[in-house]
Formats: sequence, structure tokens, C-alpha cells
Amino acid sequence: MSELHRFVVDGIIDPAVTLAAFAEKVGLSENEAEEFDRRFFDTPDGRLHADQSTLEVRNSVEFPLMCSLVWLKGGQVLASTRVESGFSPDFADSLPSGPAFDRLRELVEMRRLLPVATVRSRISSGGHLDSEEKTTARVHIDLPSLPDGQPLPALIEVRAVRGYEAETAGLLRSMRAHEAFEPSDLSTADFAREMVGAGPYLPGKLSLQLDASASADAVWRVVLRELHDAMIANFRGTVDDIDSEYLHDFRVAVRRTRSVLQEGRGVLTPAARDHFRDGFKWLGDITTPTRDADVHLLDYPNMIGALSPEYGEALAPLHELLLSRQRTCQAQLALDLRSVRRAELGAEWAEFLAGEGPWARTTPAGSDAAPDASRSARDVAAERMERAHSRLVRDGRTIDGSSEPEALHDLRKDAKRLRYLLECFGSLFPAEDLAVAVKPLKSLQDVLGEFQDTEVQAHALAQFGRQLDVEGASTDTILAMGGAIEQLSVRQARARREFAARFESFDSREVESAYDSITGVGPTKSKKRKKKNR
Amino acid sequence: MKILATYNIKGGVGKTASAVNLAHVAASRGNRVLLWDLDPQGAATFYFRVKPKVKGGGEALLSGRRELADVIKGSDYDNLDIVPADFSYRHLDLMLDDAKKPLALLRKVLSGVADEYDYVFLDCAPSISLTSESVFRAADALLVPVIPTTLSIRTFDQLDAFVAENPDIVRKLKIMGFFSMADSRKRLHRELMEELREQRPELLPSQVPMDTDIERMGVHRQPVTAMFPKSRPARAYQSLWDDIVERL
Repeated sequence: MSELHRFVVDGIIDPAVTLAAFAEKVGLSENEAEEFDRRFFDTPDGRLHADQSTLEVRNSVEFPLMCSLVWLKGGQVLASTRVESGFSPDFADSLPSGPAFDRLRELVEMRRLLPVATVRSRISSGGHLDSEEKTTARVHIDLPSLPDGQPLPALIEVRAVRGYEAETAGLLRSMRAHEAFEPSDLSTADFAREMVGAGPYLPGKLSLQLDASASADAVWRVVLRELHDAMIANFRGTVDDIDSEYLHDFRVAVRRTRSVLQEGRGVLTPAARDHFRDGFKWLGDITTPTRDADVHLLDYPNMIGALSPEYGEALAPLHELLLSRQRTCQAQLALDLRSVRRAELGAEWAEFLAGEGPWARTTPAGSDAAPDASRSARDVAAERMERAHSRLVRDGRTIDGSSEPEALHDLRKDAKRLRYLLECFGSLFPAEDLAVAVKPLKSLQDVLGEFQDTEVQAHALAQFGRQLDVEGASTDTILAMGGAIEQLSVRQARARREFAARFESFDSREVESAYDSITGVGPTKSKKRKKKNR
Repeated sequence: MKILATYNIKGGVGKTASAVNLAHVAASRGNRVLLWDLDPQGAATFYFRVKPKVKGGGEALLSGRRELADVIKGSDYDNLDIVPADFSYRHLDLMLDDAKKPLALLRKVLSGVADEYDYVFLDCAPSISLTSESVFRAADALLVPVIPTTLSIRTFDQLDAFVAENPDIVRKLKIMGFFSMADSRKRLHRELMEELREQRPELLPSQVPMDTDIERMGVHRQPVTAMFPKSRPARAYQSLWDDIVERL
């Protein structure tokens, strides 16, 4: 799809007058403007915002009962349907059926759609036409205001129709040259959010840009602060169980924190490091039952999909059980997250990261207790990565068809350790080497994850089956669960078969060179390692 | 991605109108649709107001010098794109004849956009030629409009014979015949349709009527399903699309 171009219209003169004059000058075809009350929705991490599209429930002001759900991108309707007045989308399964909304479902995944802004807009859509009266660019003009009447910037969105980018370039040049038009990255929903003081969307990936010349002590703290911010950003949503990804992202931040603490040997003093490692282990542990329950529910549609339809129906009692377990685990998690212990850990950690409090005072840079603290962060991180990479390669090479499942589970931990190092400290190293290093590692992790997750799920299902049997579940339900366990075994066996090829890709010469380049290991040391390990 | 070709050995049976309107109906239901106008006359291209020109012509596409994705033009309708006709398509047979695996070539060219579209419509010129054989190999289904006249039905029989004699070319191709330009006021049409439905129960249940609204497509340069979505022919195309999806 072509690039979307947005312009705001200078509000000194009436924007509608400016727009009308411009439309006439460049020969825009324009449909009659309509007025709508619009409620915008997005996921907590702003997936629609990132996609440059918007999802809205709009009511015609003239016909208030005409209510539509519209997924829009730069004036192009990606999906739309009539909905009941007052409808609000929620999770992906609340969206209407059909292929267009299926694509929205893929974008939203497991996240919840939340209301993000409400505006009243006067909208007209039009096009820039060629000599055949063919639309070459779609133009979407929006004169919006907040519900209290406060005006928002008038916005024009222009998108070239595919194959007509060159024809649209002229229109865009005229718009850029127009004194009343200012290019903008924001949509009407963004302006409305900004005006009411809404915060940013939840960050997705870590976006650390570390200073390669800084000391290890300083860089470790920058990383830990970023992870602390991620924990804080996801805390409320985790307690309130808005969707499963708040907890997922909270856990990822906790696990990365534990990993950075683990790799902080010699950078942080042992006392502080041990204290917080214990604290974050506890914090991670209390989130595990709820995450497991979430995973069962998230995987439920796959489980049903792999069974014949009649078995799918028979699994309804299992679904009820999974929902009930998730509610119980979540209630306990909310209590634990509101506990004094968690609050104390949070306060101590914030203090430590600010360089205050008793734990911070135990970390003098360059002391015997923290000999690596004042060294270059890049050197220290490279050493840690080299060690993690060597270990993963060494352990992976020992695995064959007869290895115990535990060997693969341990290898998954090795892989995670390396991945966290790359994610947290990667910006200290050349991006091109990182790209080569991360891709096969991720692919290896996927297959190791599938291997372990299917095993854990199969064990859990067997346990749920026994519980449902005791509670008097029907034979069909127990049989269906047997079928589901069988499917998990099939998936696990497939993952095991795929392991060798994935590991081979990871253990290739090209990938090893990328790791050598990141970690600064010269060919001599690399050759020695190969000899030693192979 | 499913590939559907509107095809008949005989011309003037409503192939292009079917391709244009079915593509529009499919897109209006939220599917991502591409229509490739393979007929050098370029009628489908004309209906969508696109200029009938492909840079480098058909040869550039078939030789791989130009990717199909680079010549696609967006239509005025959401989710519906066009590969325009080009006058060079009149030599498609010669171009295919020069290629290494001519029958597989069209599908190979289309594979470059397989992730972008749910349905591709190929609007073919009437004939049995290397181009149509390549279309048979590429397509998942052949949509065959049949006018209820003796001559038109004869050409349907010819297609049947070709399919029976060339299983290596058609492979798993589904043949979906349907009545087009049907005039229920004409006794001959009524009788032939009744007779043929008995002989060929596999014919799609929906039929497209002879209607002046379809003829107006040339004036308005729009699909009838966009111009007059509640009209009789528009409803016929919508119903026909439902039949096709069910058979796919």
C-alpha cells in the first residue's frame, strides 16, 4: 500500500475555506461532507497507530441510528460494517466475521481494543483524477472537534492509489508549497489523545540506544531503568487483567531484569545483586501460574482447530475449567502484586536505580567488589555474549535424537540468556552483525519453545483431565482431551525433528562470524573454540 | 490465493462483464482482489478507467524483467487492483512459445503477489491457444459464461472435450459454467436452459440476465455492481459469487 501523507491546515483562516479553495485549484473531486460522532479504538500498545490506520465506531450526526464500525487507512476503507448503536469492539473475537476483519484480527492478535479518543468530525472524501477521470490519489479531509466543541487541527490525508505514485507527487508538491498546510505524522485520533493529555502507547520492543563509550556500571543502570519503566507501564494492566499481554510484557521485563542482574557479576556489588536477584525471582514466580493459565486459554482455539468438530464441542467443560483457573490465578496475582513485599521491592529497586538508598551505597565503581563496573560496557557485554554464545553452541552440539528432553529444556535457557543479552546490550554493537546473529537464534528459540510448551501443556491437560473425570465429565470430554494431548505430542515430535536443522542454521560459519565480530573474538580464538567443541 | 479465469472459446458471451463485476463483488465483501486483463482489447481495463499500457509489455512480465507487482494499478474501489491490458498481449502465444515451461509460466508470474491477494481474476481472450492452456494450468477454477443459444452451448461442449482430452493440462481445474445474457422472455432461452440444467446439473444455480444496466457499464465505466448495486444484474452477480465461493 502506498505511503500515507498527512497535512494539518493552519487554523488562522477558516480551514474549510482554505481547503475549498485548494480543492478547486488542484481539481479535487469531493463528495459532500458528512458529520459523524467518532469513537476511536486501539490496542494498549497502539498497533493501529503504528499501522497508520484507525478503527472507529461512527454515528452519522444526521442519522444517529446509522452506526458503523470502520477500519480506515488514509481515506481507504479496509473494512466496514453496520453495527448496533453503542457497540464497542473488545477482543479480536468481538469483531465482525469476514476476510477484511480477519486481517484486523491478525493485527490485533490477543490484545484488547480500548477506546482512545472521541471526536465529532466533518468528513469529506475525494480524489485526484487523471484525464480518464480515474482516481490517482485518495484525499480525506477532516474538520474535527472534541465533544466539548474545542476544535482540533483540520487534517488532510493523501494516499496515492497503487501504481499512480508519480501522478500524486505533483499534488503533494503543491500541498507542501501551500503556506497553510503543514506536514504531520498525527491522525485525528492522535490529536484528540494529545489534547486530553493521554499518555503514549505502551512500548513494544526495547528501544535502547546505549553509549558504547560509557562504563559498564552506567550502561547496566540505563538498561535496568528501561526495564523498570516497562514493568511500571505494564503493572496496572496486569493487576486489572486488561489483556494477557500486560502480564506477558511485565514478565518479560522481570526476566530481562533478572538476566541483566545475572550478567552483572563484577559490575554490581554482590550484595545488591544477590538481594535483587532474589526479589525478582520471587516476582517472576508469582506471575507464573497466571501466565500458564493465559497460555492454555490463548492456545485453546489451536487445540480445538486440530480436533474434529464434535470433539471440539466436547471440550467445552475444559474451556470452563481453564477460564475458572485463570480467574483464580489472576485474583491471587492481583493480591500478590498489591502486597507489602512487592511494594517494598519496587521502592528499593527505584531507589537503587536512582543511585540512592542502602543498596546503591554498596556499589562503588571500581571497588574490589565490582571490578568490572568502571570498564567499558561494550567490552564487558561482549565478554558475556561470547560466554553465552559458546555455551549455547557447546551444549547444542551434544544434542542428538537420543538426548533427554531436559537437555533441550536446558538449551532453551542457554538460548534465552544469549537472546536477552542481545536485546538489552545489542545497541552497543554493529546493527548488521546483530541482524545476522538474532534471526537464527530466534528461529532456534521458536522450536525449543514449542518443544517445551507442548510438553508442559500436555502434562497440564492430563492433570485437568483427571480433575474433570473426578467431577463427572462425560466420556466424550475425556476422549477429546486425550485427542488434544495426542495433538500436542505430534507438535512436540515435529519440534524435535525440526531442532537439528534450526540448530545447524544457528551453528553456521556465517552466524559464528557475526558473533565473533560482535564479541571481538579473533579468528584464532574462534578456531580454538571450534576445535575444542567439535 | 485462488485464481479464477473467466473463459469461453466464443467471444461476446459476457466474460469481461463477469470478470469485472465478480471481482468487484469479491472486493466489496472484504477480499483482496486482483483482476488481470489478458485480453488485448482491454475492455476490463477500460471499465476501470485504467490506461491499457504495461511498461515493457507482456514480454517483460513473462520474462521476469518486470515484476507483476510493479505494473499493478489500484482501481477506484477498495481492495480491488488491476493489471492492465496491453496491446502486446496479442502476441502472448508467441511469447509463451519461446519460454522454457510455457504452461507453468503464468502461475509463476502470479506467485510473486500470492501474499497480497485472496482472489485473482484472469479475463481471457476467446480462443483455445497456448495462452488459454497456460491459464488452465494457472487457474483453480474456470468461470464459463454460456449464452443459452445452440452455438454457445456447442462451444461449451468443445471446452468439455478439450478438458477430457488434456488431463495433463487442466489437472485439478474446476469448471464452473453459468448462464449469461439469459433472456427469460425468450422461449428458446428458457427451453435451452431447462434442458441444459438437466444434462449438466453441475452448472451454477445463479444466472446473469440480459440487461441494459450491464450495457451501461461502457458509458459509466463502472461495474454494474458499483453503479446500481440493487439492480437485477448486480444481485445476479452477487448471487453468482456466493455460488462460486461455495464450489471453491
